[in-house]
Amino acid sequence: MAGVSTHVLDSSTGRPAAGVRIDFSVLEGSSWKLVKTMLTNGDGRTDQPVLPPAEAKVGEYELLFYVGDFFQRPGSNLAEPPFLDTVPVRFSIFDAKQHYHVPMLCSAWSCTTYRGS
Amino acid sequence: MSNNTLTRRQFLPAGLALGGMVMSAGPAVAADAPASAPAGLSTAPTSMSALSPRLTMHAIDIFHGSPGAAMPVEFSMMDGGAYKPLKSFETNKGGRTDEPLLVGESYRAGRYEVLLHVAEYFERLGEKLPNPSFLSKVPLRFVIRNPAERIHLAILFTPWSYSYYRGS
Repeated sequence: MAGVSTHVLDSSTGRPAAGVRIDFSVLEGSSWKLVKTMLTNGDGRTDQPVLPPAEAKVGEYELLFYVGDFFQRPGSNLAEPPFLDTVPVRFSIFDAKQHYHVPMLCSAWSCTTYRGS
Repeated sequence: MSNNTLTRRQFLPAGLALGGMVMSAGPAVAADAPASAPAGLSTAPTSMSALSPRLTMHAIDIFHGSPGAAMPVEFSMMDGGAYKPLKSFETNKGGRTDEPLLVGESYRAGRYEVLLHVAEYFERLGEKLPNPSFLSKVPLRFVIRNPAERIHLAILFTPWSYSYYRGS
């Protein structure tokens, strides 16, 4: 299946990160156009595909993860304010027939992303 | 050192064992390594624990197992709702910068972005990437809260992935 999906994991606890805001944008000309804002579910995923297969086109995309807000949510117990706040991941769909799974593994001080599956 | 079946992983220890001998002896290089492959790490890790507060960075190419040398970088600071360029440069041979990104008067609390030209970096090394490449210009955003503390931005990257973290 083509399109774009994501998965947010809290690498400080080894658990899915639920309730993380993600803004998904597409590059149009030289400016980023917001396509939609999502929240991760209890599994750290989005209920709907980030980009459904039928809408996948070659181009540049951005997932903006609100990592800082997640780690400063009510009840969290950070020793100091996070090093990361909003974390953009910019990537290309170079073949619209392929699927692009773009996970975000994060703590308040580190993050990792990659083309997953 | 005429064994040209050495893998890249074996090459580094073999090179270290040679000590001061010439590293460019052709046959020691893995047969499948591109001609323009970057050099391995040539210096020991650096401790910065005794240095004054500053922002430093270090980019490691974990695709080749080498410093991310000659990476084009744009460094910006958030100012009035947009990232304003502070400087553009290329990383040095060690994947670091010759001078700290910020030190002394220039080292201030704020929101910063390091933009890595990852596709350009790998294309220069002869890697074949899709067009457009999965990663091209990679923005790394972070916040300096307390300019009394040293911040080291550590970066690991490949054509398909990257990590960055508050290092030391």
